[in-house]
Amino acid sequence: MARKMLQRALPAHWDIEVSHAANGIEALDAYRAGKAAVMFLDLTMPDMDGYQVLRTLRRESLDCFVIVVSADVQPMAQERVKQLGAIGFVRKPVTAEKIAPLLEEYGVL
Amino acid sequence: MSTPEFNEEHRDALQEVANVAMGEAGAKLAELLGTFVRLSVPRIEISAATQVPDILGKLLGSDNAVTAVRQSFLSRIQGEAIVLFGEAGCAELADLMGYEGAFASAQRREVLLDIANVLVGACLGGVFRQLGLELGYSAPSLLAENTLADRVIHTESLNWRRALLVEVNFRLEQGAFSSHLVILLPEHSIDRLRESLEQMMATL
Repeated sequence: MARKMLQRALPAHWDIEVSHAANGIEALDAYRAGKAAVMFLDLTMPDMDGYQVLRTLRRESLDCFVIVVSADVQPMAQERVKQLGAIGFVRKPVTAEKIAPLLEEYGVL
Repeated sequence: MSTPEFNEEHRDALQEVANVAMGEAGAKLAELLGTFVRLSVPRIEISAATQVPDILGKLLGSDNAVTAVRQSFLSRIQGEAIVLFGEAGCAELADLMGYEGAFASAQRREVLLDIANVLVGACLGGVFRQLGLELGYSAPSLLAENTLADRVIHTESLNWRRALLVEVNFRLEQGAFSSHLVILLPEHSIDRLRESLEQMMATL
């Protein structure tokens, strides 16, 4: 359901291919396979959480835009992911209005 | 886990609803304790009601003593919310909340009832708001103290056949304080929850 909501919030005219990952390990596999120019990352995931993904990406020189999509509304969660290199933090439920400005700001669209 | 009454899609939707709701509850707890709270991936199980104590034992560790607070809730969907606090972590509570010295037992109970009430209110409030349902609660009451996790609930008193269990937990980065919130639904409420989830998914 989280994926469906996110998919609906992506710009309609955006010419992209979407890959899904069930946890951080799968996300990193997709990234390393060159499938991630932009990554929408949840923080609470089984096996490897979003913070660990961000740390690993940074070690591997972070060649993608990461937008964290999370239900965690603690201000410290936002600070932490930005320190770890995420370009944005979107509170669930995710909407097109929350995502489009971030993509535009970073010239992804 | 997939059963005829609750398939993979229902489970996934409930997990997402619970995740959003616990985010709010975690932020409230973080404010109360003045520290960062780590959220868990919500767990969902459907089982015979008689299995519930064993499931709790597995989730919390059957050799861990807990203090448990219960609150029933009433809506189109009804059930029990139980917050289980690890006994070891409770010793650190006074310090976390900025009190001098340890809590007396009456004061400790009062604080745990308050924290449970905040967690239950935020979490269930969040779940039911997303489902578009109104909700009422009983006052929180002490269910067990210094009791092993698998002995907190006596299923013979539940009078349920099957139960759906949703478990989320809140941990701190430092120290032993931990709390688990468990929502239990009896069979007729499982059916109604499924209907509400289907209605919600249909709008996506």
